Amino acid sequence: MNALELNAICKSFGSQRALDNVTLAVPTGSRTVIVGPSGSGKTTLLRMIAGFEFPDSGSLSLNGQILLDSTHEVPAHQRRIGYVPQDGALFPHMSVAANIGFGLATKGPARDERIAELMDSVALDANMATRWPHELSGGQQQRVALARALAQQPRLMLLDEPFSALDTGLRAAMRKMVARLLADAGVTAILVTHDQSEALSFADQLAVMRQGRLVQAGQPLELYQHPRDEQTALFLGEAVLMPAKIKDGWADCDLGPITVNHQGNSEMAQIMLRPEQLQLNIASTGSPGCHGVVTERDFGGNTCTLTVTLLAGKFEPGRSLPVHCAGLLAPPIGSAVQLTTLGRAHVLNN
Amino acid sequence: MGRGGTWVTGFAVLVALLSLLPIGFVIGVSWQVGWEQIQALVLRPRVGELLINTVLLVLLTLPLCILLGTALAWLTERSNLPGRRAWSLLAVAPLAVPAFVHSYAWVSLVPSIHGLPAGVLVSVIAYFPFLYLPVAATLRRLDPAIEDVAQSLGLKPWTVFLRVVVPQLRLAICGGALLVGLHLLAEYGLYAMIRFDTFTTAIFDQFKSTFNGPGANMLAAVLALYCLAMLTAESAARGNARYARVGSGSAREQQVVRLGRPATLLALILQTVTCLLALGVPLITLGKWLIAGGSEVWHWSELLAALQQTLFLGVAGALLTTCAAVPIAWLSIRAPGRLQRVLESCNYITSSLPGIVVALALVTVTIHFARPIYQTTVTVLLAYMLMFIPRALVSLRAGIAQAPVELENIARSLGRSPGRALWLITLRLAAPGAAAGAALVFLAITNELTATLLLAPNGTRTLATGFWAMTSEIDYAAAAPYALLMILLSLPLTGLLYLQSKRTAGR
Amino acid sequence: MTRRIPSFFKTALLGAALISAGLAHAASADDGIVVYNAQHESLTKAWVEGFTKQTGIKVTVRNGDDTEMGNQIVQEGSASPADVFLTENSPAMVLVDNAGLFAPVAPATLEQVGSAWRPAHGKWLGIAARSTVFVYNPAKLPASEVPASLLDLAAPAWKGRWAVSPAGADFQAIVAAVLELKGEAVTLDWLKAMKANAAIYRGNSAVLKAVNAGQVDSGVIYHYYSFVDQAKTGENSKDTALHYFKHQDPGAFVSISGGGVLASSKHPEQAQAFLKWITGKDGQAVLKDGNSFEYAVGQNAQSNPKLVPLTQLDAPKVDASRLDSKKAVALMTQAGLL
Repeated sequence: MNALELNAICKSFGSQRALDNVTLAVPTGSRTVIVGPSGSGKTTLLRMIAGFEFPDSGSLSLNGQILLDSTHEVPAHQRRIGYVPQDGALFPHMSVAANIGFGLATKGPARDERIAELMDSVALDANMATRWPHELSGGQQQRVALARALAQQPRLMLLDEPFSALDTGLRAAMRKMVARLLADAGVTAILVTHDQSEALSFADQLAVMRQGRLVQAGQPLELYQHPRDEQTALFLGEAVLMPAKIKDGWADCDLGPITVNHQGNSEMAQIMLRPEQLQLNIASTGSPGCHGVVTERDFGGNTCTLTVTLLAGKFEPGRSLPVHCAGLLAPPIGSAVQLTTLGRAHVLNN
Repeated sequence: MGRGGTWVTGFAVLVALLSLLPIGFVIGVSWQVGWEQIQALVLRPRVGELLINTVLLVLLTLPLCILLGTALAWLTERSNLPGRRAWSLLAVAPLAVPAFVHSYAWVSLVPSIHGLPAGVLVSVIAYFPFLYLPVAATLRRLDPAIEDVAQSLGLKPWTVFLRVVVPQLRLAICGGALLVGLHLLAEYGLYAMIRFDTFTTAIFDQFKSTFNGPGANMLAAVLALYCLAMLTAESAARGNARYARVGSGSAREQQVVRLGRPATLLALILQTVTCLLALGVPLITLGKWLIAGGSEVWHWSELLAALQQTLFLGVAGALLTTCAAVPIAWLSIRAPGRLQRVLESCNYITSSLPGIVVALALVTVTIHFARPIYQTTVTVLLAYMLMFIPRALVSLRAGIAQAPVELENIARSLGRSPGRALWLITLRLAAPGAAAGAALVFLAITNELTATLLLAPNGTRTLATGFWAMTSEIDYAAAAPYALLMILLSLPLTGLLYLQSKRTAGR
Repeated sequence: MTRRIPSFFKTALLGAALISAGLAHAASADDGIVVYNAQHESLTKAWVEGFTKQTGIKVTVRNGDDTEMGNQIVQEGSASPADVFLTENSPAMVLVDNAGLFAPVAPATLEQVGSAWRPAHGKWLGIAARSTVFVYNPAKLPASEVPASLLDLAAPAWKGRWAVSPAGADFQAIVAAVLELKGEAVTLDWLKAMKANAAIYRGNSAVLKAVNAGQVDSGVIYHYYSFVDQAKTGENSKDTALHYFKHQDPGAFVSISGGGVLASSKHPEQAQAFLKWITGKDGQAVLKDGNSFEYAVGQNAQSNPKLVPLTQLDAPKVDASRLDSKKAVALMTQAGLL
């Protein structure tokens, strides 16, 4: 069952099309991530769900209740939708406890108890209750913001780039904590980010936006493996893109013949492989695969990204490809290597 | 923007239209007077004389103010001068002494003092804090990394200052210089007392002889043009530089230059002399007159009445001005755009006109078209509003900027109605800014002379006009209690100004 | 698209409206009469205090200068808030009278003042008088060298040696007298010479102080500035001497301070009572006994005994109702003094 349903949402700012016919369903209890470059309209979409913005046309419903259509709209304060913005946006004139308790209807000891419970759930020390927002670190502020939004037991949780202001080390930990919290509370969540790795790691459902349009939605693995087009492919991670001739489930390309997930025939198509699908061996004569030379080496600790320049090629001789290999096993520059492919290549429909 | 926005915009437009009154008046009067008479009244030697006087005053005073203000700011912010904190407070303190009280002090100390040199001397002393404040604040929040980089590129410290620091001070210097320049054009009391004729004193003379006769009005028109020219010059000097967001400044300590022994001595002499001239002279003369006058000069009933009226006008004017500034401040943060910029520049241009021009305009307009408010407190307060709205605007805008719309949105997402969210979040956060703005307007009103003289209702006597009436009769002893009360009223607010500049720069 | 009702702005607007309404009300609720006063504040204050004490009528005073207020009343016209107008010099009275804004002075009041001190038409009357005087510093200018006539000061020999306060109504009245006695051409030449010769100060007190301090040798002021200062500490006049031009010279001009009731007055009885009081026994006694040192003009009223009696001043005959302040100011503007 779907918690949130967006139907044909359109919104323009002047002549600028911010949202172009966006339709999306968010299953109950899921974590949906909307990902896209800045200016793609993802934040506008989020603010529209929260009730801070209003579309020019389209409709929006939550748990079967119509929040917005052409005849009426439910104002933000009656939607019970939690919102956590990028910088936390704590109320600077209120203590941590007052911030968290802002949305609580209860008073007295019950309220204090609930605040303590919430602080505990986001791993904030109890003695932080009397602190002021400017005395907190970025991560702490973000956790207060999360607790504040969770306090009112929202029907839906919206997170707008909640981790982007945090240090890299902190980010992954926060991400895990948020995922756990949302699962514990059983809250459906939508998270907006421009960071693809964050998106892939956090999402049950991933929706890619570009220029106000929802380009593709589905499970993260599905989108990673089978992006609809070149831009989406590159946006979701490093990719090897090559021209190929497709025939009977095989692609003829610079790497030689490889299998593809496509049954049609085409004289001129584009195929995609993820770098981790290329496997590297030290060259020995007669072994199978495609021959090349290591021309660049980017040592990154446990993985090393190599640039391999192919010796021959049907379409473009001397093509350079990124290849990942274990850092300790990376061959030096100038090594002759062989490439073999794992799994199938994906044919992009251009 | 919806219904709310329409309301706010409508109110902001109303305020802007009101602020166009003085300019409209100048144009209207010129039209009415006709070209022939304009020629007779404007193209005459006396106007040339005034023009030369005023231009010379500006050309001599501004560079001196800039040099003094920047030197003191550098010493208190960037050197290891002993007693930096105290010196920095003392550099702002002269603001608590109204300009015409400075002049009064000098005239009683050196009775023969007069003309251009006196005008320049007293102006520099009275107005250099207007440069000190922004320059010191900017020096405090410059990113020290930039200077480090410059030094690492092989520049000598002095070269670093000239090539890296000074260009970054341009905005502060331009802003401060414009403020001083506009004061030079608008001030009456200071120059009247030391017998130096500027456009403003000449307009006042004409007013005394002819009320709002064409002679006074045409001089006012020329003065208004002069002010607009100054605004244009400043915006040209400012170039493409924009006022940087005063936000999270660098947390790092600024590096402090160690002064050698001779340099320390020179710096201490400069600080001491400035302090003696700017604070010593007024305080010593005031003390002298208070002692000479004894208890006789303390006409308590009159002094208290004047104090009461000053407080009333100050508080009412500050409230009105702050309320009037709210819509435009709100628009400039929440809905910036071309309309908002136009509205804001309307307020800005009018406030740069001297009080005498605004007052002449309001006298003429109310006497002919708005009799019910002619010679009432409403008109005086309106003049204060037109003259001082930017002071309220700046603080208020900073206050509203403290409360991003996002906070209000979040309050709404947490179940608070829009009205409650505005009240609980934005207004609470903007309140200190509004209060600071109101305080600045109050300070300006307590020292206001020209507009109050022309517009005050019958029987009104403020501390400033009381002081002026006494000094006009050369009763310097009787004027002293008025001056003392004005200084005492201004002191806490000057302190506030000082703290505010520290804080906006600190965080 | 924010859809909020800005209750706050409505409240603010309402508050501002209430404040303004309250103020407007407070401003108009004043009782009693309004006096536009161009006379010295302290003198009018003494008059008002005496009058209010005797009659219980409240008086609100607006202070200003002669021609400023004269012009102001003319512009305000029939809606002027003023009930009574008091000046230091008569030209401003003429200005208002020419606009037809004065009500006739009550006959009983007119009779209190000698006919020399009021125009025949009785629309206003003299309330006090002051004499032009040449003040000099004997240390810088020996008594033997004082000029015989006010017009002599136009001579190049006097360059930088005398001071005036041309922006004040006092001196403008003297100019009006010169104009009336000597005609436009002579007056303009004299003013142009003055622009070149004279040191310009703001206010007669400032002129007196400068002469006393020796900053300038001499000055043209009214007589009482010196007497007022002498009565206090004398610190601004102790080193000066006075020279009366006499011989009906323009410099011996005696200026009439005027008083009148406006036709538009909403309290004509109280206003007439005020005028009657200040020109009557008690009001004129303030001139004799107070520290204004202006001449009394009431029938049988005595001036302060320290003053040179009016009869000895040999002043020129000038019809006060003909003094033309407009022309005087225009000529001074033309000469570059304003």
